[in-house]
Amino acid sequence: MFELYAARKHLTARRRQTLLAVGAVALAVTITILFRSLINGFEGTINDIIFQFVPHVTVLPKDGESRIYLYKTLLDAVWTIPGVTAASPALSTAASLSYGGKVENVVLRGVVPDELNKISRIGLDYMVEGDLDSIEIGRRVALDREMAERLDLKLGDTVRASFPDARTLNLVVTGIFDTGGFSTNYAYVSMKTARDFLGEGSVITEVQIKLDDIYRADEVAASLRELGYNAESWQSQSGIVESIQSRRLSNTMIMLLVIIISAFGIANIMNLLVLEKTREIGMMMAMGATSSIIRRIFLIEAGVLGLAGGTAGCLIGYGIAAYVNSLAIALSSGPGFSIYLNFVVDPRDLLIFPLVTLLLSVAAGVYPAHQASKLDPVVALRG
Amino acid sequence: MSKIIDIKKLRKVYGDGVELVALDDVDLTIEEGEVLSIVGPSGSGKSTLLNMIGLLDTPTSGEIWLKGQNITKATPAERARLRNKELGFIFQFHHLLPEFNAVENVMMPLLIAGVERKEARQRAIDLLEEVGLGDRLNNRPNQLSGGQNQRVAVARALAGHPSIVIGDEPTGNLDTKSSDMIYELLRKLNREMNQTFILVTHDMAMAEKTDRILRLVDGRIVCEMRREGDEFVSHDLCHLD
Repeated sequence: MFELYAARKHLTARRRQTLLAVGAVALAVTITILFRSLINGFEGTINDIIFQFVPHVTVLPKDGESRIYLYKTLLDAVWTIPGVTAASPALSTAASLSYGGKVENVVLRGVVPDELNKISRIGLDYMVEGDLDSIEIGRRVALDREMAERLDLKLGDTVRASFPDARTLNLVVTGIFDTGGFSTNYAYVSMKTARDFLGEGSVITEVQIKLDDIYRADEVAASLRELGYNAESWQSQSGIVESIQSRRLSNTMIMLLVIIISAFGIANIMNLLVLEKTREIGMMMAMGATSSIIRRIFLIEAGVLGLAGGTAGCLIGYGIAAYVNSLAIALSSGPGFSIYLNFVVDPRDLLIFPLVTLLLSVAAGVYPAHQASKLDPVVALRG
Repeated sequence: MSKIIDIKKLRKVYGDGVELVALDDVDLTIEEGEVLSIVGPSGSGKSTLLNMIGLLDTPTSGEIWLKGQNITKATPAERARLRNKELGFIFQFHHLLPEFNAVENVMMPLLIAGVERKEARQRAIDLLEEVGLGDRLNNRPNQLSGGQNQRVAVARALAGHPSIVIGDEPTGNLDTKSSDMIYELLRKLNREMNQTFILVTHDMAMAEKTDRILRLVDGRIVCEMRREGDEFVSHDLCHLD
């Protein structure tokens, strides 16, 4: 095809201008890809950290009640909701722990360790001494390292738990965990120990739920409220993800503007090209090139510049992201976890951006190409 | 000889307010295989007439017939097709495309016509050898002299086997030696391929080598001289000065 041939010649002969145009688009796309993947990575990290400790949905007793009765029925109902990956019942109460003359107030939680691990992974990733499973047998407790230090407790020591209206219990410390301050006031005991402490039967105070899709939490909470329970989603408790979402949107708009500006650069280059090539366009017309052939030559050139710029930008952006990820730059770290500078490139972006720059560049080329095709050959040949 | 171009009462007026009559009811018949020169002062309408014949411009009134076909009202696409098939152009400036080497420039009319690359290339090489540039095939215009570039332009004008070759001051930018060389080349091609050549020129020495001279003044043909042997015979009242 003559148009392709002529376009290719123009682009390869004017290597410097071509590289400049491709470079401008590539730079815009690289920055966009990096920003987007940085936000992706940041969001992923935030999700990872927060959601290890925050259940997606928390079910609380019905209005006017302080306990969830018949909780096995509730758990059955929870498990029938699609997307539920964990449901951990808990019986929570306030308690005072005393040891060697020191007293600290804690939230004493009766839990099933296996289920709790699915919500917060405490027993899996955050134990520094002993283990969480040990609380299942007898009067035992697992608590936070900071709390243990305040009470001067060591593994194997016996601590006294008491509270008004509660039975005083002696608990052996068999597990110490460290979550970097996320749950200093939590002390975990078995469900049975908690019930004995409160003198309660088969009741709980809450069910923590994890979902495979965290953005369905509101919906799941609503369906649980229909059963009469109070249910809260993480979304109603934290605005962080909304703010990430809105930042992502505004960033994408800014980035799109950057790309549009780079497309204007292409329009500019095409305009100059048409001006510079006026005589040659006239000559091509004299040789029998129709208006549509001339128009296509310039549209193809604009398109190639955009596509090449978009593709190069994606490759460079992806390369930089992969390289920075491989450096594992730690932004902050705590016991059990570290936050790394982490770019997560959305593979769809790698397809979308070359297409976007292709379309924008062709759009930018429409006017100059039209101008070229409408030249009067007699006038054009005169220059 | 048969008529290849027949022009009837051709008129071209420029301008909306102040009218400028570039061509004033010109009648002209051109025979196949003829080498015709058009002379006249600047602004006499020579180039306008040439652009009409070359289908680059449209008349205000009158008719142009090409090979028995009235092409006065042809669509832009049809005119482009006819330019490609029937016409070859040589301008004062070679107007070669700077990104393309000699062969690629000569191939261009053929590629526009949709001729296959390989075939077009062979035709271009043959033509460049014909014009004496067989050793300059891959040189770009900026690597060739003015005369050489003009010879490439001649080869390009001939690439599509046009029936008419139009030259607007084809030697106007060249020294005498190169001019003679170009003219001899055109004449040789005319003898070999019986193509019609229409040349606008300021160069009387060159005009006097053609078969017929038309003199245009103020958009009218004021004089026509035809060669008979070595002599020019005036058919109308002529004042060649």
